[in-house]
Amino acid sequence: MEEQIDENLRRVYAQAVEEEVPDRFLRLLDELRKKDRDKGAPEGGADT
Amino acid sequence: MSTASDPRDEIVAHLPAMRAFALSLTRNPATADDVVQDAIVKAWANFDKFEPGTNLRAWLFTILRNTYYSLHRKRRREVEDPEGALAGNLSEKPHHDGRLAMHDFRIAFEQLTDEQREALTLVGAEGFSYEEAAATCGCAVGTIKSRVNRARVRLAELMHLDDTNDLEMTDATTLAGLSGKPFA
Repeated sequence: MEEQIDENLRRVYAQAVEEEVPDRFLRLLDELRKKDRDKGAPEGGADT
Repeated sequence: MSTASDPRDEIVAHLPAMRAFALSLTRNPATADDVVQDAIVKAWANFDKFEPGTNLRAWLFTILRNTYYSLHRKRRREVEDPEGALAGNLSEKPHHDGRLAMHDFRIAFEQLTDEQREALTLVGAEGFSYEEAAATCGCAVGTIKSRVNRARVRLAELMHLDDTNDLEMTDATTLAGLSGKPFA
């Protein structure tokens, strides 16, 4: 029973993972990167 | 590009998993993507709090679930469908080949509590260890274990797996063993 449940769970999840990532997220990451560059923020986060 | 070694560039590799995890939490593709969007912005802004060399996916998932819970806790209470009208859509009997129809599985899965869905997704689908799942959800390892067990028991109930006798592991004793307490 546990096996059947997990098999279905993985199948449903895998289907979701295989979906193509919408452009809006790639654009968002580009924008965030650009904003940081414009601010002149240190690359890769601060070393505190 | 000089940004080639920016560790934040690795976020993109986790986007498909973030969307899948968000979908299992929200049960709605549009809401899921809104949550992912907010989580990306938060992760980006707080990236200095990520410890390099640790599990980036788990860190992103933590932000994602916190985003979901803070944005949707109120709405969830309004929308929640206890014991679900959705249950009416379940087919009466499990399939005789022992395989569950994915459609039925989805409907059953959606009726689990938020906590059960996230625990089962992390452990059963993402393959997180109980320890990683506990850290991601900010709770004790034992809590994750019992959520996973209760989720499986509940799914079995919803899918009518518990009352078929052509399956081996479906007697009350097994279910009680899985949930760690008597199964009523």
